[in-house]
Amino acid sequence: MVEHDSSDESVNRRKYLKALTVGAAAGIAGCTGGGGTETESTESGNGNGSGGSTDDTETSGSSSGGSWDSQLEVLHGWAGGDGEAAVTALIEAFEEEHPEMDTNFQAVGASANVNLNATILRRLANNNPMSSFANWPGKNLERYSGALMDLEADVWDAEGFKDTMQARAVELCKFNDQMPAVPIGSHRMNNLFYNTAVFEEAGIDASSLDSVDALLDALEAIDQNTDVTPMAQAMVAPWTNLQLWAQILTSQSGVEAYTNFIEGNPDRAAVVEALEALKTINENYITADASSISFTTAGQKVISGNAATIHQGNWVYGMFRADDSFNYKEQWDWIPFPGTEGIYFYHVDSIVAPSNNPSREETIAWQKFVGTKEAQIAFNNPKGSVPLRTDIDPSELTDFLAMTYEDLTDSEAYPPTIAHGLAVTPKTMGACKTAFGDNFMGPFKVEATADALIAAVSE
Amino acid sequence: MATHDNTEHVSDATDEAVGWESKLRYFLNSDFVRSAPYWGIPFVLMSIAVYGGIGYNFAISFTDYEGLGTPDYSTLDLEMYAQALSSDAFIAAAQNNLVLLVGFTTICLVLGLFLAILLDHGIRFSEKFQTVYLLPMSLSFVVTAQLWLWMFNVESGILNLVVTTLGFNPVDWLGNPSIALGAVIFALIWQFSGYTMVVYLAGLQSIPDDQFEAARVDGASITRTYLRIIVPQLKEASVSAAVVLMVFALKAFTFLYALVGRYRPPNGTDILATLMVRRAFKFGEWAYSAAIATMLLIMALGVIGPYLYYQYKQGSL
Repeated sequence: MVEHDSSDESVNRRKYLKALTVGAAAGIAGCTGGGGTETESTESGNGNGSGGSTDDTETSGSSSGGSWDSQLEVLHGWAGGDGEAAVTALIEAFEEEHPEMDTNFQAVGASANVNLNATILRRLANNNPMSSFANWPGKNLERYSGALMDLEADVWDAEGFKDTMQARAVELCKFNDQMPAVPIGSHRMNNLFYNTAVFEEAGIDASSLDSVDALLDALEAIDQNTDVTPMAQAMVAPWTNLQLWAQILTSQSGVEAYTNFIEGNPDRAAVVEALEALKTINENYITADASSISFTTAGQKVISGNAATIHQGNWVYGMFRADDSFNYKEQWDWIPFPGTEGIYFYHVDSIVAPSNNPSREETIAWQKFVGTKEAQIAFNNPKGSVPLRTDIDPSELTDFLAMTYEDLTDSEAYPPTIAHGLAVTPKTMGACKTAFGDNFMGPFKVEATADALIAAVSE
Repeated sequence: MATHDNTEHVSDATDEAVGWESKLRYFLNSDFVRSAPYWGIPFVLMSIAVYGGIGYNFAISFTDYEGLGTPDYSTLDLEMYAQALSSDAFIAAAQNNLVLLVGFTTICLVLGLFLAILLDHGIRFSEKFQTVYLLPMSLSFVVTAQLWLWMFNVESGILNLVVTTLGFNPVDWLGNPSIALGAVIFALIWQFSGYTMVVYLAGLQSIPDDQFEAARVDGASITRTYLRIIVPQLKEASVSAAVVLMVFALKAFTFLYALVGRYRPPNGTDILATLMVRRAFKFGEWAYSAAIATMLLIMALGVIGPYLYYQYKQGSL
């Protein structure tokens, strides 16, 4: 509200609406003979609580560190379950650190950030930015190209985060020679969670699952020997198929094949082979209602013993943990996705700051806080993800997360996830999801999906 | 708006000037101007909110506006329209829209008429049935979508309970692209056939009993009475119900969005509205989406236009 008034010259929707509103207000005012203060009303929605119309003069002398002048407004998508618990812990820790700052943390919808991303895009397009927002770093930032704030000097260098954060997280937070994001946590993608009782009943030794073929055999054994559905899969949206396919591709043809794919040199034979395996799974081993359930419902099926395994990012750990009668190493256990041992399939959540920032000083303080040990531990324990700092004592994390954290710091390869924004641009990711959405939600058309996937990354 | 009065009196005015002045005074004292504060303010607000929005959308659709910049109005062309019309996704969505529009409206009308005739026969508990049929209409799309998501569930949904009890294989209602649209239409019909029923019932009840009696005296069968005498008199009701239903069909976005909680509806049910929102708010393709929006508007006008013309011909407009 302070600095960005005169930044652009041409007409946009806000200006157009403002002009119309002002025109109408003037017209009405002319009729009724009332005063000219109506034009203020279009701006007062984001006032900072200390009085609407005097904002401009108040903020002029704002360099002193102790007092904050503007409101910190942060948008995130963690509206329920483990995410809500995590962000609440993060906010509490932050408010303890800066009790005098006026903050406004808004959870925007759930559902895989659909509403969050739409809201951010709309507000940035309308030149009405917030202080910062939660989003994936990496290629995903392409979506907000040209509207991001550079935090390199003020946050990264000032706090020495480049030395304390994982090198590849630092790389992912660079965008167009700027560093607009600070990572908050990492989920691992190559997981296979399973219900131990069902595996026992079917006579499967989880540690022997070292390839996709072994997995398919195990699923077949569960199908034959028990009444339980071998795998829970959520296909209400195509991203679950996309990420499972990426695991299978990596398992069958190696990290290089996956890397080549995301870099635009796909090997069609490998793509097709992975799709064939996924087709076998989807046609034979998943719950019949897959097409109408979300991943939380799918996870519940593993908890209730109606499904034996599930592949997901380890956010389902946050969900499993919420159930007191479903414990790690007892009722459920984990292996890396068969054939991906020694690999940490990489996912990062970060907090991103837009340019034209309405609260520069507050945003910097907040972004600095996001990178601290305290914040990363507070957030990641409830979330089921792991901190990206390299100097965390694993004993501060839960058992499962401590194990994941050790893998995070010590794996052979870290391929970036394709279904969660890191590996490819939002457009390519959208095209990959569409490839699955149009051709692979049952009936499963391998050739058509392969063509669409290859076209998506080759553009 | 124009409340200023011409207080300057010209003393040596000619006849002509006086005529002009009094004309203005007559104009300012006319009902039109004096009532302006009452209809004018809503009119201005409406113009800004609705027609201003349409105008701006129209302007954007001719640009190449994309992402977070500002639209560039220097080169205006129909490229986005051409791009949409040559895209398979657009054609498929438009087809689905058309199927939804025609299928949903027709079945709703027929079913509503049937129910209305039944109720008009004074069956027992007819008021209660009326409420039962109408109640779904009062529910929000968000509620009915979640309800039908459960009903359509392959494993535990009640529809498949019926299907399997009858000895058939369970049906994947929303997962199978060739029947998903049918399933959505079915759910929408469930929600809106009560509305058509009420409209028809009102129409039926306004027809005097004499006509039924006269037909009976003349020896016409019940079917014949309805087909030849009663239904033709329900033309008004049919037209207005159809228009409302068609507009709802174009707005089915809410239902589809609530069904899955995202901008991509179940496979095979993509309509223009979902396609438009997806292109705009997932990918920031503002111009392309604006072009789709304009074509959606034209479709809506195509529905409303004939109705307005019909009303005009009837003299009710």
